[in-house]
Amino acid sequence: MIVRMSKLEIAGPKELLLEVLEVIRELGTFQPEEERAADSDATLSDAEVPEERAVAELLFLENMRRQSGEIIALLPAVETGESRLDPMTVLDSIAATAKSHLATCRALSERHESVRREQEELTRYDVLLAAIDRLIGDRDAHTGLDFIGITLRDASLVEKLRELLSFLVEGECTMTTTVAADGTLIGLIAAPPSRSPAIKKALSDEQLPELPFPESIANLSLPERISYLEERLAATRISLAEIEAERDRFARRWLAFYRRINQWLVERLALLSVTGSVRRTGMCFVIQGWALTDETAPLTERLNEVFGGRVAVEQRAILEQDLEKVPVALRNPPYLRPFELFTRLLPLPRYSSWDPTPFIGIFFPLFFGMMLGDAGYGLVLLAAALLLLWRRPRGAGADAARILLISSSYAILFGILFAEFFGEAGGRLLQLTQILPERSRAVMPMLIFSLALGASHVLLGLLLGVITAVKRRERGEAVGRIITIALIVCLASLAVSLLFPSPWLLTRPILLLTGLLLPFLVLSGGLLAPLEMIKTVGNIISYARIMAIGLSSVLLANAANHLAGLSGDLILGALAAVALHAVAIVLGLFAPAIHALRLHFVEFFSKFIEPGGRRFEPLHK
Amino acid sequence: MEKALICLAAALAVGLCAIATAWAQSRIGAAGAGTIAERPELTGTVIILLAIPETMVILGFVVATMILNK
Repeated sequence: MIVRMSKLEIAGPKELLLEVLEVIRELGTFQPEEERAADSDATLSDAEVPEERAVAELLFLENMRRQSGEIIALLPAVETGESRLDPMTVLDSIAATAKSHLATCRALSERHESVRREQEELTRYDVLLAAIDRLIGDRDAHTGLDFIGITLRDASLVEKLRELLSFLVEGECTMTTTVAADGTLIGLIAAPPSRSPAIKKALSDEQLPELPFPESIANLSLPERISYLEERLAATRISLAEIEAERDRFARRWLAFYRRINQWLVERLALLSVTGSVRRTGMCFVIQGWALTDETAPLTERLNEVFGGRVAVEQRAILEQDLEKVPVALRNPPYLRPFELFTRLLPLPRYSSWDPTPFIGIFFPLFFGMMLGDAGYGLVLLAAALLLLWRRPRGAGADAARILLISSSYAILFGILFAEFFGEAGGRLLQLTQILPERSRAVMPMLIFSLALGASHVLLGLLLGVITAVKRRERGEAVGRIITIALIVCLASLAVSLLFPSPWLLTRPILLLTGLLLPFLVLSGGLLAPLEMIKTVGNIISYARIMAIGLSSVLLANAANHLAGLSGDLILGALAAVALHAVAIVLGLFAPAIHALRLHFVEFFSKFIEPGGRRFEPLHK
Repeated sequence: MEKALICLAAALAVGLCAIATAWAQSRIGAAGAGTIAERPELTGTVIILLAIPETMVILGFVVATMILNK
């Protein structure tokens, strides 16, 4: 249901504005009107231009919020208690401290980032270093030799390289290989320093790259490079640990404080942003807005209690021109609340319109049950719904599970009425008493029943449309809808009269009445009104899908039983029946759900729901 | 011969409607997939829109059933 709203004006001394907004926000039941109402009779001065002091305060707070936010982002999220400090009392003194703290945090962060990057770069060589270290081993002592490290693309190059080196330096060098942890094939050439330049040139000519190391150590020999890199890696680890410890110390001391400051600043700025839509004079303020009618008294009482009568709350009449602006809040009993899941698929209705939820809540499970109409399938879906609810889902999942629970109960009910349990064979097996006609054979009765249901549903929609038009004082619209209702009733009576043994008894007067009503329809709704009428008849015919989907559902179940029976084997037949019925259940879940929704969204709601409502969003913490 | 014609009429009633529905759903489905890619919150609405052309095949099915039961 759409909750009744009240239009309120809250007035008080200007200096209490922020305190009043704070109380309103704590209660969370009042939505300030952003647009300025032109109908107000209050004589207020032109306070459109914000005061210089207010702008300066806003800029100061915004700057503080930005600084405190950055400090929080730069510090590690260590566990801290909550700060109980009142930010208002220390705000001025903290402004300078925050600046220096921000500089400290930035410096720490930059140092941390720089060392971390260096460590990351050095770690990349770690794998190669480990492999080279293994190759050099006890040859560390041979300081007279030059060591050249290379990476080899594949093992076939090893022999080729050995031959090349043997030819080049006539056996005055050795080459050993190993595989690094990342799979790279590493080679280490040990040679006298006099032979090194020739070997390096040959490697360059053969496009066999030396191990890549930072340029800063390019002039060092391989063992020197290795030891240098190991030392740097160890140094960066220590340095990083020191910076992190320093940041942790800083965070433990200041993080809770800055979190408190930041939270307070965010709330304060939110309040100040609301003040932009508040009308002010040199002495007082007036806040216009909306509150749920049943929340108006507690709001008034609380403001009186806090401000001792210095703040007045006045309820204003909702005028016709206000109807477009009234925010909309929906509130439904627990049974209907899950169906708001479907309502959320539609645009919010206007305040003067209707909440679609109760209608979906009543008719959706009914249509679903009529279409599925099988006690066995219903039980399976009921078990699925209970299983889903047992897992305690939240939000949309919980709503969907509850809708499935209700809809499957209707499917079981109609299954019993149709005497169907996994098809008609199951019903016969369980000796269910058939109360409603057999769906697979009584096609015409089911079609007539579906159309009659559709006519009733659409007529209800049209009737609600009449009430909406009357509420909005749109007389022409209301008359047009009443004539449409009369014509639908005439057409339905005409259809019924044809089923009578002597149709001419009723047919003639009904045709006469229809002929009389048609000109009035054109007069009230214009030339397009007859087309709208035809569309409404089309909407009613669309309800034939209840019969059609129901028929396909029962035929599918019967086909599953028939095919399973054809196997001639108990186990194979049971497996086939399970598989085929599983397919039928999945189809039986989606098709009726989608078509029941479609009947509501397209055929029913188009008759009386007016979209374009504004959601009620009260000021809250 | 008469029975064959009745069956043919029923098959045409449901078959042609099914083709029309399939064509309409292919267009809506393609547009709907694009819509969902940009605004996933419209999934429910797209599913409903996709179900709208099914009216044709459902009514075709009803007509076919009526022809066969005549």
